[in-house]
Amino acid sequence: MQFSSALLENAVNEFAKLPGIGKKTALRLVLHLLKQDTAEVSNFSEVIAKMRSEIRFCQRCFNVADADICSICSNSMRKQEIICVVENIRDVIAIESTQQFNGTYHVLGGIISPLDGVGPDQLNIESLILRVQKEKTEELIFALNPNIQGDTTIYYIQKKIQPLGIRVTTIARGIAFGGELEYTDELTLGRSLQNRMPVENYVSNR
Amino acid sequence: MNRSFSFPERITAICGNNGTGKTNLLDAIHYLSFTKSYFTRMDALNVRQGKSGFRLEGVFEVNGQPEKTCCVLRENGKKEFSVNETLYEKFSSHIGRYPCVIIAPDDISMITNGSEERRRFLDSLLSQLDPGYLQHLISYIKIQQQRNSLLKSFADTHQQNFELLEVIDHQLVREGTPLFEKRKEFLVSFLPVVKQLYNNISQQYEDITLVYDSELLQDAFGSILAANRQKDLWSQRTTSGIHKDDIDIRFAGQPFRTIASQGQRKSLLFALKLAEMEVLRDKKGFPPLLLLDDVFEKLDEERISNLLYRVCIENKGQVFITDTNKDRLCKHLEMVNTTYQCIDI
Ligand SMILES: [Zn+2]
Repeated sequence: MQFSSALLENAVNEFAKLPGIGKKTALRLVLHLLKQDTAEVSNFSEVIAKMRSEIRFCQRCFNVADADICSICSNSMRKQEIICVVENIRDVIAIESTQQFNGTYHVLGGIISPLDGVGPDQLNIESLILRVQKEKTEELIFALNPNIQGDTTIYYIQKKIQPLGIRVTTIARGIAFGGELEYTDELTLGRSLQNRMPVENYVSNR
Repeated sequence: MNRSFSFPERITAICGNNGTGKTNLLDAIHYLSFTKSYFTRMDALNVRQGKSGFRLEGVFEVNGQPEKTCCVLRENGKKEFSVNETLYEKFSSHIGRYPCVIIAPDDISMITNGSEERRRFLDSLLSQLDPGYLQHLISYIKIQQQRNSLLKSFADTHQQNFELLEVIDHQLVREGTPLFEKRKEFLVSFLPVVKQLYNNISQQYEDITLVYDSELLQDAFGSILAANRQKDLWSQRTTSGIHKDDIDIRFAGQPFRTIASQGQRKSLLFALKLAEMEVLRDKKGFPPLLLLDDVFEKLDEERISNLLYRVCIENKGQVFITDTNKDRLCKHLEMVNTTYQCIDI
């Protein structure tokens, strides 16, 4: 692609770095911005820069937050003694969209997979165990993808918190939906949250 | 280049010189039965030189109904597999839909080499018989890889998280134990059939024994893993489990592969494959497709006739046979008095 302006070329190159955006799409987006008012485009870039520089991660659950504690953790209407354990922030968004869950979250930041060099130490697992001990949690709900690494993660955490005698459940997995959590439709995900089952049953049923 | 073939007769002879693509035609049938090549693990190696992908289509008739089966390898290396325009989410669900047995020259390594080829044979057969088997096997392999990586990371980081190892051991046992049970149960009835077929083929009684060999016969898998933990930590891999299973084959008490003659080895290979064919036929209710790739080389006339009689007359299923020697193949097919189609490639 030949550009007669370095400014234009730089902008196209930046857009093309985004996932799923090729050079052609990048050019289309940049040309679109070029047609906008200068003020509008300034606002656009400020919003993005601000998002990146000011966003924080909740000190309690590791969800995205605008303050030290996220809006879900600081909402007194939500059941603080129920924690839904998820892999990433997209899962929080998916479950929140179902409007079927009124507890809090804990974002692990991944799942255990030695093959990919991810062990418990690379994840927010220690903080979860400390949190559960400190907060007198009543129930831990695992909402992880139904695969081997998801199982490993569930069993490992369960093993760690076993002495505490907390109720540990998992959303119905594998049967209700086969794909990734974030692609599951809201109705199915909501239903499997309500029909969650004790991890012990899940283990013996497979 | 597009080519299409139809197979109006139950027996198809495929003749031509080496390198003309006889085996490719057989492998195409294998591809549509197993979603992959018999001869290579890499799909890209099946792409014609200078092309970026391939499309393979076949019409299979199952219980009188035609099924259009299609496999596409796209430019980006992504493979799609469909039956009647419905794409599979998991290729593994296709296995067993078109039961199929192949015999190729290199298969003799199943008799002469280490245990891996014999496990591969057993796994392929059991996967066609029981979809649950393949699911357990896929999971088992993935967990084994995770476990080996964990053992490596223990050595690399000098930190040993035994709680995590125990969790993964538990997962490995959960997938491995049913695989062991199925192998054990199956081989009890299968191995005597192999032995009998072997004696039929060699046309005399020979003192041959076939026994399932697995560490899990001695102890529970969990206990074995626990007992071998130090060894595993030291060697940084999983040294025990069903991935070490074998079928122990002996001839007059001695390891078969070391003392059997070339003819005896070939007879045993045919016995294993023909037994596979019988089991598949009994389980599925119809005979599997049989693919014979260049198997007559170095066989005497009598053995060729004997084998052809079994697979073309006694066996009622569809058979595809390749040979470089057209005259030899056609002569023998006429000798066993069967109708056939001959394709020159
Ligand atoms: Zn929070």
